[in-house]
Formats: sequence, structure tokens, C-alpha cells
Amino acid sequence: MIRVKSINEFRQLREHLVANLDPTIPTIVICAGTACQASGSNDIMRVAKKYILQKHLVDEIKIRITGCHGFCEMGPFILSEPQNAFYHKVTIDDVPRIIDAVLAGDYVEELLYTDPNTGEKYYRQDDIPFFKNQQRTIFSKNQLIDPIRIYDHIINGGYKAVEKTLSQMTPTQVVAEVKSSGLRGRGGAGFPTGLKWELLAKQSSDNGKYIVCNGDEGDPGAYMDRSLLEGNPHSIIEGMTIGAYGTGATEGVIYVRNEYPLAIKHLIIAIRQAHELGVLGNDILGTGFSFDIDLVRGAGAFVCGEETALMRSIEGEVSEPRQRPPYPVEKGIDGRPTVINNVETWANIPFIINLGASEYAKIGTEGNSGTKIFSLVGKIKNTGLVEVPMGITIKKIINDIGGGPVGKARIKAVQTGGPSGGCIPARMFDLPIDYDSLAEAGSIMGSGGMIVMDENTCMVDVARYFMKFLKDESCGKCFTCRKGTQRMYEILDDVSRGKGTLEQLDLLEELALVVKDTTMCGLGQSAPNPVLSTLRYFREEYERHLIQKRCDAFVCKELVGAPCQSACPVGTEAWRYVAHIARGEYQEAYRTIREANPFPSVCARVCNHPCEDKCRAGTSGGQAIAIRALKRFVTDHVDPSVYEPERIRKADDDSPRVAIIGSGPAGLSAAHYLSLYGYKVTVFEAEDEPGGMLVSAIPGYRLPREVVGKEIDSLIDEDITLKCNTAFGRDVTIDSLSDDGYKAIFVAMGAHRSRRLEIEGEDSSGVYPSMQFLKAFNLRGENLASRGVVVVGGGNSAIDAARVALRQKAVESVTVIYRRTRNEMPAYEEEIEAAIEEGIEIQTLVSPVRILSQNGRITAVECIKNELGEIDSSGRRRPVPVSGTEHTIPADTLIVAVGEQPDTGGISSMGLEISKWGTLYADPDTLSTNLPGVFAGGDVVSGSNTVIDAIAAGKKVASVIDRYLHGEKLKQPYEACLPRIYIEPTAISVEEADQAERARPPSLPVESRRHSFSEVDLSLSSEEAAQEAKRCLRCDLEFTQPKEEKIEEPATGVKTT
Amino acid sequence: MITLTINGLDLSVEKGTTLLEAARFFGFPIPTLCHMDGLSPYGACRLCVVEIGEGSKAKLVSSCTYPAEEGLKVRTASSRVVKARKMILELLLASCPQSKIIQDLASAHNVGQQRFRQEHEDCILCGLCVRMCKEQMMAKAIGFRGRGEKRSIGTPFDIKSDVCRLCGGCIYVCPACQLRCTYNEPEKAICGACANLSPPCIEKEEFDDMMCSMEPCVACELDKD
Repeated sequence: MIRVKSINEFRQLREHLVANLDPTIPTIVICAGTACQASGSNDIMRVAKKYILQKHLVDEIKIRITGCHGFCEMGPFILSEPQNAFYHKVTIDDVPRIIDAVLAGDYVEELLYTDPNTGEKYYRQDDIPFFKNQQRTIFSKNQLIDPIRIYDHIINGGYKAVEKTLSQMTPTQVVAEVKSSGLRGRGGAGFPTGLKWELLAKQSSDNGKYIVCNGDEGDPGAYMDRSLLEGNPHSIIEGMTIGAYGTGATEGVIYVRNEYPLAIKHLIIAIRQAHELGVLGNDILGTGFSFDIDLVRGAGAFVCGEETALMRSIEGEVSEPRQRPPYPVEKGIDGRPTVINNVETWANIPFIINLGASEYAKIGTEGNSGTKIFSLVGKIKNTGLVEVPMGITIKKIINDIGGGPVGKARIKAVQTGGPSGGCIPARMFDLPIDYDSLAEAGSIMGSGGMIVMDENTCMVDVARYFMKFLKDESCGKCFTCRKGTQRMYEILDDVSRGKGTLEQLDLLEELALVVKDTTMCGLGQSAPNPVLSTLRYFREEYERHLIQKRCDAFVCKELVGAPCQSACPVGTEAWRYVAHIARGEYQEAYRTIREANPFPSVCARVCNHPCEDKCRAGTSGGQAIAIRALKRFVTDHVDPSVYEPERIRKADDDSPRVAIIGSGPAGLSAAHYLSLYGYKVTVFEAEDEPGGMLVSAIPGYRLPREVVGKEIDSLIDEDITLKCNTAFGRDVTIDSLSDDGYKAIFVAMGAHRSRRLEIEGEDSSGVYPSMQFLKAFNLRGENLASRGVVVVGGGNSAIDAARVALRQKAVESVTVIYRRTRNEMPAYEEEIEAAIEEGIEIQTLVSPVRILSQNGRITAVECIKNELGEIDSSGRRRPVPVSGTEHTIPADTLIVAVGEQPDTGGISSMGLEISKWGTLYADPDTLSTNLPGVFAGGDVVSGSNTVIDAIAAGKKVASVIDRYLHGEKLKQPYEACLPRIYIEPTAISVEEADQAERARPPSLPVESRRHSFSEVDLSLSSEEAAQEAKRCLRCDLEFTQPKEEKIEEPATGVKTT
Repeated sequence: MITLTINGLDLSVEKGTTLLEAARFFGFPIPTLCHMDGLSPYGACRLCVVEIGEGSKAKLVSSCTYPAEEGLKVRTASSRVVKARKMILELLLASCPQSKIIQDLASAHNVGQQRFRQEHEDCILCGLCVRMCKEQMMAKAIGFRGRGEKRSIGTPFDIKSDVCRLCGGCIYVCPACQLRCTYNEPEKAICGACANLSPPCIEKEEFDDMMCSMEPCVACELDKD
């Protein structure tokens, strides 16, 4: 490389390089940042190079290997220039096709990026929302530059800022420029960079002064400094050279952690090249100004990122922070004045000089100018590095750039600033991101880590994780930091096991505040942030761990046990019966199911299976065990008589009498268990047959009537009396029942009133609430639907209504309209799929506006299209109507299925308290209402809910009523429910385990089910069931496996053979 | 001279004086565990924290390391300071309940119980011994090793140091440890001193100018017999 001896020569070099570029030759850009290398970009490079050589394309296409572009989720990727086409998740087989397409000026359609939310295909990278919504002033250079080629950097304006400062500006002007740009330190504390420089410039030192680039990026989940150092090392060198010129520093140090080998490699090359070219070292560009940079590798302690510790590390000592004052700018490395700035701060300097301070200050907000790079990671669709102007809201980053949550789980919080930062809850996502607002919210900017957390993240566990990190990474000098982090960890660990009392939380908070207050350096002062912020915003989660022994995110092992078991409202030991099925012990399996659940056959068909949602085989990245299908297999194959319920007491004529209102799953479960407790029970049912929602709402093709009938019959014994056609409030009242000698009443009358749309024309004939429609058919066989049917809603009752309507004779077509997207539909996925298979059309992002009618009869429904807006209180993105998209859908029948409420009209007059949601009030722990001796549960309390929750309420109320009638305390302490019984696991070979796929129960062919009410889903075969059961990860074994027994030594004197 | 205010009293001290020195000179008591005259300030035990500054800028700093600044307003016993000090003592009690010095300090500050899981450690890592060894005994035989939870004091790789003169200075200054001198693996011991059956000072010629801080010294006691 020729050394450039003057500024003029340097200008000529640049002009020469630019002039030699041939813009007609296309280029493919391959990202080789660390993340993309991990996803395989090295192979892509090799294949691309080989293909170009083999096909003799060297003169026709160029290839550029660059650092990180930021969209790490989609790596490895290839970008084509000048097309700007973005091919993501490329495999080696795709490379030749892409090269051919680029040469032909064409696209490989199927490899282009498609937005998973909208399905829109993008032909240009710049149009992709992830890139489009960013402001990539610093980071955009990465894709233009091969970091090991200094000429690439120069062609793209590299060292122009050095050229400008050395030729046109005085040192004072440089400092003034940085000062007026408003740039604040990007390392996290946000100290104005210009001010720091000014202080250094004022210092006089005979030994010279230091400037340091702090590249000791240690936050878990943060890697923007790494990507800058890897992808654009010259920008750091350039920034530091300008800094040295402005402040009079003579020596520079780049401190990089040794865990960043690629960054170190690129820096070494860059420094060497800069030397050779004459933009670094002695007599830079012939101006007489000299400055040199040394590279120091950090040993990997987190505390080295703290500036005083970092200086000690550079000096070669153990990195321990020390008291400031004296500040580094007075007394730094080896006692010489020192300024330390973060990588990203240095990268901003050339940009500021080139753009001018006043223009730069316009980016971002007042007092927080410029952009900031965040590493967006965690439970979000588009993980990667994003550069945004300061002051942007968290919401914008998460929704517009990050693409929202990964699955159905809602985003709960973001953690900013790494281990020293805090968690910000979803309700505060309107917060603009800058140094001050984050600090106010109890977090920090930090170096820019942003970890997104959803409902499957436990905040106690998050705090515990960070505290573990900090207790290991505290340097240990300050007693309060060392011991404080250990003690905080200890308490957090206890909480995660459900141990301790609420006072522990107060102690934790007290300790956290003292640690924050009394430690010397930033590490200790910010170490309590994860604890304090989670306590501030998620204290109820801590309390639930301690009081209810529940970890809602199913993370804390000691409380969760086997997730299938603790997810089940009635505590079914799913792992246990799955294990029995694997061993072929079907009767044992049935007993396990029936012990916990009086409605096994019903639940085997219609349960919403929370066990499968939390199944670790599914949450750990695979497919959940088909637990419900296995339950169906058992209930289909085993005679229920193998289970004989255990009677705790025998009822006699003097036994207290209990009245139950409603014969749904809640009422009948309560009746069953109360009879086992030895009470005389009377069940009052308003309709003329028992079963509640099981028979009135759920269609027969999902739950055959004879299955319900058999199960109900098996529960009703001689101590249970059933009285149908007896409505609560009309035929019996609380007063009449207690006059009749009932000692306790359980109100479980369900939620039978459909919510209204509250739009014009809703009272036209042909418009039915879904409950009315379903009941008319299920109980009385009436066909209310005809010709074109439109169903409004996205829940199970909407899909039920749609599928029932489809089976009615006069119906020609059925359309379901739902206001959000398919992802957000509350109905079971398999139901939606079955409905589509049967020919039901589902239109999403559509809301009804009014109902058009003729002569009082519906003719059509006017609808409007929605787009997804901001996240609402439910954590989902709110549907926002798009004006001008109004359209009509012809309809002869409209079924409104937008939720159900209990009919509380009659009950409130009896003095029962009604909640603000229009449901009956009952204490969640004891199910007691405001009236003594009157309890309530099921849908009447919760609003329309699942079968299994209703059964759970019935089961619970039985024990509560038993305690009530014995004059005992109603509330019982909570206990974590952990597996206790050991069942020897069945052997499974590695091949079997690898090949195993989730079992899919067979179903009736579409043609034969479309117009019949025969049951659609069928049972698994024994082989399928055994294979599926063997897939179970057996989370229970961790708790039940016997410890290996010691082999006893034979007693003395006994001969062993 | 620098003028500052301590607990409302306007005072002047020489430049370079620490807040701890200033406060103690004027009679304001500040408890310390890792400070000793003659050794450089370190700021490890945090017991000596005082509150400086006003309003939202008020903060706690360790007085032993903080230099007196012109116009600084210092409070040595504000409620924030006392609260912090009590918590520190509680943490100390939880870790080193056997130390007489810590017990006395706790009692003087009305800390009667601790709410953490009881531990029985014999070192609070105040670093007095390290500084004693380095600054007064000029030996640098012992130092800190590891970080965070794993931080400990000892010789590199736990091998008996060649530069250790078995002076016992480390034990002499220790505010907490009572067990170190009974270390029963002499080859690993920091000093081994009295447990070491052949006290070095017996061979006077070899250790002629050693500064011995042991009190009472096993060897000297032996001599008396």
C-alpha cells in the first residue's frame, strides 16, 4: 500500500478509487458477522466463490463479504446490488440460483423476504419494515464495506472526517463541534461527550494523554459494539483520531474483550492498514499530527467495562474500580489524563464531523440527539440490531421493527440495559427511549440491550438470572455489592421455590436500596435494578410465588413440577397416565384420569388442554404431547367401572342437604364430590335435561350426546336428586331453599346470554345470538339458519355456530368474520382448521358496522376492514378500522357470537353481589358469595369459560362446603403440586426419539361429515398411542426418581458367592 | 486549606484530607472495618459511608476514600446513612457472627438481629491484611484472588509464598478472622505462624530484621520456658 503524504494526495486517492468503480457490475453482499457465521454464512461464501470461479463470472459479478447488517434472525442472507433484493435464510443450494438471477437482473421469488404478519413480499431491502422503520446512520455503512479492505471504507467516505478536521478545523473547533452536537456517551451513563473532551483538552500533562475506546461489552444479549468493531473498525479508528486531534491526546487504546475474536482480527488488520496508508501513526496525512492506537484485550470480567476498573486492567492490574474523584480525566491510566468513550460513541464522531453538529442535533430529541443501536432479542419475531433515533417509543421498536410477539403469548415487558437495567412493563411501552426517561422508569439505557419478554417469562426468574450473573461478576471489593448480590440472589432463589414470607420481599427491597446506595462503582449501584424494577412492576408475580405457590410462566421448577399437572385446573397427573399408556397399563391410566376428573370422556373431546400448551416437549421447541388424544384413547378403551370412587362418609337421613343450581360440569362435579363427602344433594336444572353447556352449546359432532349422557348417569347416585325444569329465581330462590332445609347452596348456572354487537339493525329477524341459535338446535332440533350465513366472532362458540349452521339443510354458505387476525382467534386451532376444511370461509380483520334489512328481515351486513394498530390492554394489537373499506356481505342469517354473559337479572334481586363485569361475585379462594352459605362457581362467576375450569370449580366448592358445614376455616393454604409417584420409564431408542412426531388422531373424511352430526374426531390406535406416550419427556422423574441406593456391604462373617 | 461543612459545622482541613479523617479529627464518629491509619484507603467495607450533596444530587460515598472538596456538605449520621449502616452491619452479622468487633459495632448501632440465612465465615475481605503485607511489610505475599462470590485472599495458586516472612502482620490487623491462624495445612497457609511448629524468629540470623506483629508469639512464649 502506498503511504499517503498529504491531504491532497488522499483526496486524489479517493477520487481515483471512486472513478474506478463500475456501477454496471452487480454485486452480491454476504453478511459474515458472528451471528450469520453461526447460521452458516461461511458455507454460503465458499459456494458463491466457487460458483463464480467455475462459471467464469469473475468479471461479471462481484462479491462482498461484510460485517453484521443487523437482521440476525434471518441469517444467513444475501443482498444483491444494485437491485437491493434481500434473500433470507439462504442455504448453499440457493446460491447458484441467486447468482444467476442477479446476473439476469431477475429475482428468485420464493427466497425473497415475506412479512410473516401481512404475507407481503418485498423486492427491496429498504422497503422491509425491519429496515424501513429504522434510521441507520451509523450501522448502514456495514453492508457497504468489507471490513478488511480500507479502500472500501475510503470509497464510502471513510477518513473524510479526519481529512476535514486536519485541514479545516482547529482542535478547539473539533471539541466545540462535538459539544454542540449534543452527543451523549453511548456506554449507558449518557455523559455529554463534548464536555468530557473539553475537560481533557484543558488538562496539561507532560507525559501525554490517553483516549480509550471501551469495547468491553459484557451485557448478556447485547452485541452492537461487537458488530461495529467487526463490521466497520475504521470508523472507530477515525473517531479516535479526531478525538485525539481535538483533545491533544497522544495515545489511544482500544480495549476489546478477548471473547470477540473476529473484532480483534478486524481491528488488527484495520490498524495496520491505517498505519500503512498514513491515516494513523506519525505525521498523519503529512500534517505533522501524530497519534497511535494500541489494542488491549480484556480478560473477560464484566466489571472491566467500568471505567476505573478498565484503566486498572489496561495498566495490567486486577480490575477493581476505585473512588472517583479523582476522575480519569484528571488522573487516568498511569496517572495521565484519560478519556474513555464507548465504541458506539466513537463511531458517531466521523458522522458528526461530516454532517455538521447542527444537522446532527436535529436527529433524535432535545437533549438526546442522534441515534442509538439496540440489540433487540428475546421473545420477538425479528431479533437483531436496530438503530433508531433517540426518543422513539418502545412500542415502535417492538411492533414496527421487531414485528411483534413470536407466538400467541403476549409480550409482557422489555428489559433494557442488561443486568444493570430494569424491566419496563407493556403498559409503559409508550415511553420514549432516552437516557432520562428510562432512568425515571427504573431502568437504564445501558449499552443498548433490549430483551423482550412474554407471558412465558417469569419475572422472578429474570431477576434471579441477572442476580446470579452479578453475584459472579461483582469484583467483590465493596462488601455491600459482593454480599448484597449474594443475599439478593439467595432471597430470589427462595422465592422461585415458593419459600419464605412476604416480609422477605420487604427485606429484599430494603437490601436492594442499600446496595444501590452504598457501593462504589456503577456495577453495584445498578445491580439492584433488575430486582427493584421487577418488584415495582411485577410484585404480584413475586407474591403469587410465595402465597399461591404458583409460577404463572411455568418457569420456576420447584413450583411447577410437571407442567402438564400444574397446568390442569383439576390437577390431573397427565404425566402419570401417559407413562401408564407407554407401559400398556390402560386401567391404571384410566384410574389416574378419573381420580382427578369426573368427566374423563367429555374432557377427552372438548377440553382446551392447558396441559398441552405448557407441555415441555412443546415449549422447548418441539411438538407437545397429544395428551388429550391419549386421554381419548384411554376413555375409549377402558370400562369406567374399573374406577370405584372412594366414599369418605356415607350419607344417611340426617346428613345435611345441599342445593346446587345448574347441572353443567360445575354443578354435577360439585354434586358428585359432595355425595362422596356424605351429603344429600339436590341439583336444580332450568332446562329439561341435565348437562348445561355440554348439551346446549357444544354440538354433537364434537361431543356425542350419548357420551355426555353416560358420564352424567355414572355420577348421579342415590344421594343426588335431579330436578329439571326448575329455574333459579323463578321456581326456587335462596330463601325458599333455606326454608326447605338446605344448609348450603352452590350457584353454578352458567353464562347463557350472548353479548350483543350493539349496531344498527341488530333486531332484524334472521339475526340470532349464538347461544339462542345453538340451543334451538341442540336441545330442540330447530334449524334457524338458512341460505347465506354470516357468523360474527372468533371464539369457539362462533366456530360451533358456523359448523352447526353448515350442517343445516337450508344453508348454502357460511362465512365467519373476525375483527383481529387468525393468530388472535380464541377458538381452538383444530376447530378453525376443521371448519375451513368443511368449506367455511373465514374473513379476518373485518368488523360489522350495521345490518341492512328489508321488511324487517336481514339482507346483508355492512362491514369495514381493519388494520392492526397499537397494543391494547389485552396485550394484543388493536384492530383499527380503515375508512373507505366499507363493503357489504349478503346474508340471510347472522349469528352473533362475540362472547357470553350470565343472566344475572334474577339473582341480583336475591341479594347476591354482581361484579363490574356483570358476573356473580365469588371469592376466588373460597368461592363464597356475599351471602353466608351461598357459594358460586363456573361460568356464572368467570363469564364464559372452559369445561375444565367449571369442573375445577365444582370440585373445589365441594371441599369448601364440607369445611363450611363442619364449621372449619374455609381458606386453605396453597401447596405446589409436585409429582410423587414413581413410574419406571419405558426404554426408547435414540432413533425412535428422533423420528417421533406428534400423533394426529384420525378424523371423518370431509365429505361424510359435512352434513352429519357424527363425531368428527376419532381415536388413536394402540400403536399410535404407545408411540405418542413414549415421546413424553417425563418431567416427573426429576421429582420421583429414587436416588440410587447404596449397595449394602455384606455383614461380617457372611460368605458371599 | 479547604473549607467544607460537616453536619452543619463549617470546617477547614488541609488539601488531600479524606472525609473520614476530617470527620474524626473534629470528633464525629464514623465506624470502619477496612480502614487503618498507615495503610492506604480502600473503601471495601462501606461502613464509613456518609451523605454528601443536596437534594436529588445527594448521595452516599465512602468517607475513607472521598477527598474533602471545597464547599462540600457532609452528613455523617443522616437517616439515609444510618439506615445503610444498619443494613451493612446486618449483612456482616449474617456472615461473620463470631467476630467480636462486628458484634460490638452491631450492638452500638442497635442491630440486634439479622434476617438472612446464617453463615459462619471468618473473612469479610476487607483487604487490611493485603495492604498490611504490601504497604507495611513490603512483602506482597498475599492478595485478592477471583471475583464476586469466589473472591478470596491468599497466595497465588495457594502455594506458600517465598516472600512471606511469617510476620503475622496480616493476622494482627484482621478485624474478623479468628480461625486463619489455626490453618492446619501449613504448606497452604497464608502465614501458618503460630500453627507452624518451628517459628522463624528462633533462627535469628536468617530473619534478623523481620518485623513481627504476632502477639503473643508462640516462639517468644517458647523462649520464656
